[in-house]
Amino acid sequence: MTPLLETRAVSMRFGGVLAVDQVSLRVDEGELRCLIGPNGAGKSTFFKCLTGQLKPSGGRIFWRGRDITGADSFAIARLGIGIKTQVPALFDGLTVRESVVLALRRTHREAAAQARAMATLERLAIAGLAERQVGLLAHGERQLVELAMVVAPEPELIILDEPTAGMSAEETARTGTLIRELNRRHAVIVVEHDMQFIRSIARIVTVFHHGRVLMEDVVERVLADPRVRDVYLGKSAEPAGAPVPCHNTAPA
Amino acid sequence: MAGPQTLARRQAPRDRAWMASGAAVLLGVVAAVVLPQVLELFALINATVFVSMAVLALSLALVWGFGGILCFGQAAFFGLGGYAYAVAALNFSDTTFAVPVALLVATAAAAVLGYIMFFGRISDVYVGVITLTVTLILFNFANSTAGDEWRIGAAPLGGFNGIPSTPLLNVPGEPGAGLAPEAIFRIAVIALAICYAIARLVLRSRFGRVVVAIKENELRAELLGYDVRLYKLGVFSIGGCMAGLAGVLFANCVFVSPTMFSLSYSAQVIIWVMVGGLGTLVGPILGCILLQMLTTWAGTLRDINPNVILGVILMAVVLAVPRGLLPSGIALLARFRRGPPR
Repeated sequence: MTPLLETRAVSMRFGGVLAVDQVSLRVDEGELRCLIGPNGAGKSTFFKCLTGQLKPSGGRIFWRGRDITGADSFAIARLGIGIKTQVPALFDGLTVRESVVLALRRTHREAAAQARAMATLERLAIAGLAERQVGLLAHGERQLVELAMVVAPEPELIILDEPTAGMSAEETARTGTLIRELNRRHAVIVVEHDMQFIRSIARIVTVFHHGRVLMEDVVERVLADPRVRDVYLGKSAEPAGAPVPCHNTAPA
Repeated sequence: MAGPQTLARRQAPRDRAWMASGAAVLLGVVAAVVLPQVLELFALINATVFVSMAVLALSLALVWGFGGILCFGQAAFFGLGGYAYAVAALNFSDTTFAVPVALLVATAAAAVLGYIMFFGRISDVYVGVITLTVTLILFNFANSTAGDEWRIGAAPLGGFNGIPSTPLLNVPGEPGAGLAPEAIFRIAVIALAICYAIARLVLRSRFGRVVVAIKENELRAELLGYDVRLYKLGVFSIGGCMAGLAGVLFANCVFVSPTMFSLSYSAQVIIWVMVGGLGTLVGPILGCILLQMLTTWAGTLRDINPNVILGVILMAVVLAVPRGLLPSGIALLARFRRGPPR
């Protein structure tokens, strides 16, 4: 079967720094995939290669077998890929409803876009915010608004970059539930470094380290693997004292 | 949720745009009928200049205030529109046909410049630098066209002196029957009203809402699948066309000369928009007319340099009402209506 999204030896070089080094990955339809790794592992650079924000310096990216390497972001979005960035990218001056309508307006007529926008807001339990101005919302609400804009057009694949960044524990738990629910209808790729969160949602996990894929396996085995624990605890190559995000590193 | 009430509310902002457009055209017609009766000829010609400048201010209000494109060279399209009108009018017997030529030249210039900038992924401050540079290149070029070899058909470009012999608009179909200043004023006022209506309706459309969304967050608009380059190019070209129209009107009440491309015009438009209120359409129109009246009045004073008065007032506005006169005025009104803040 042709994978939904496939990368073959994708590399990204910034001057002398090889941020992403020959990453090959395949994500199938309906899959929920997590990309994890400590800060600076190359996750976000790889994410930007997938979303067209960066043109990879080597390797190829395929969508349903079609080569999309180097395509612009808007063209990638049009394929049916919903993208949520780490820092919410929102229309601060518009209302929540206007924002979600715009997400649908490219492919739907006005009335249909309005109806589907409200349905999406209800699905994410933020219909109460519909007429509020996006710029005045709290951080967690903003994350949900962005998610609403991403899921409203029913993309086949959703890519989320650190969806829980800056969220409270309760909001994080809610987002976990939401991602699992989204996965019933869409394939999802989640880029994260919060291990506890990963454990709550993941099945297959790809671990990044120094721009390469360190390992790829089911979540239990990844979390039990001594190499992963070393990477996260900074034993192997990370300098001691580097900011290591690990709320709860691995099962004892 | 989709009861009749919510539906009515959803429709409301769109109907408001139609109502505002209708009201603007009505106001334009009233002004066109009444003002020529009450104003003296000199004041009327002055008013025509103000109105043509207001069209220029409106064009930047759209491009900068709603498209988020800080174009420092709106004067380039203003001047190109004016020059294209003058050249075409001198070559055609019926000057009516010079108007579409002028609009076409201004729009095409904006489209070409916009294509280079937006498809070259040039953004923010560089757009300002490039547009200003292009304007100044045009300024220098227009100034250097003094010789006899610089003529297009029957039209000498005239270098520093411009084209003082610019023919006025004539009654359509009757070449030689030049319009009176009253008629030119009427055309200018109604053109301003129509430009306002068009801007309102453009902003109401899907295209306009995407343009505003791009100003709010370009990355998000792109990630929703919108090709932001096309939308920017679109709004920039519409703005260029309006500025070209302003140039045509200006050519009909003053005459075209290289000053149309000058830094002082480029900067003044920005100031009008800022003082009137960035992100509004009516604000820049009011700001433009107010500041022009002020400039004209200050010019009549003998003991003080008008630029000093203007400078002081501008600083006061920027410090006291940084959002511009119109938004601050509306906010003040709203506060009165609600009563003191709790």
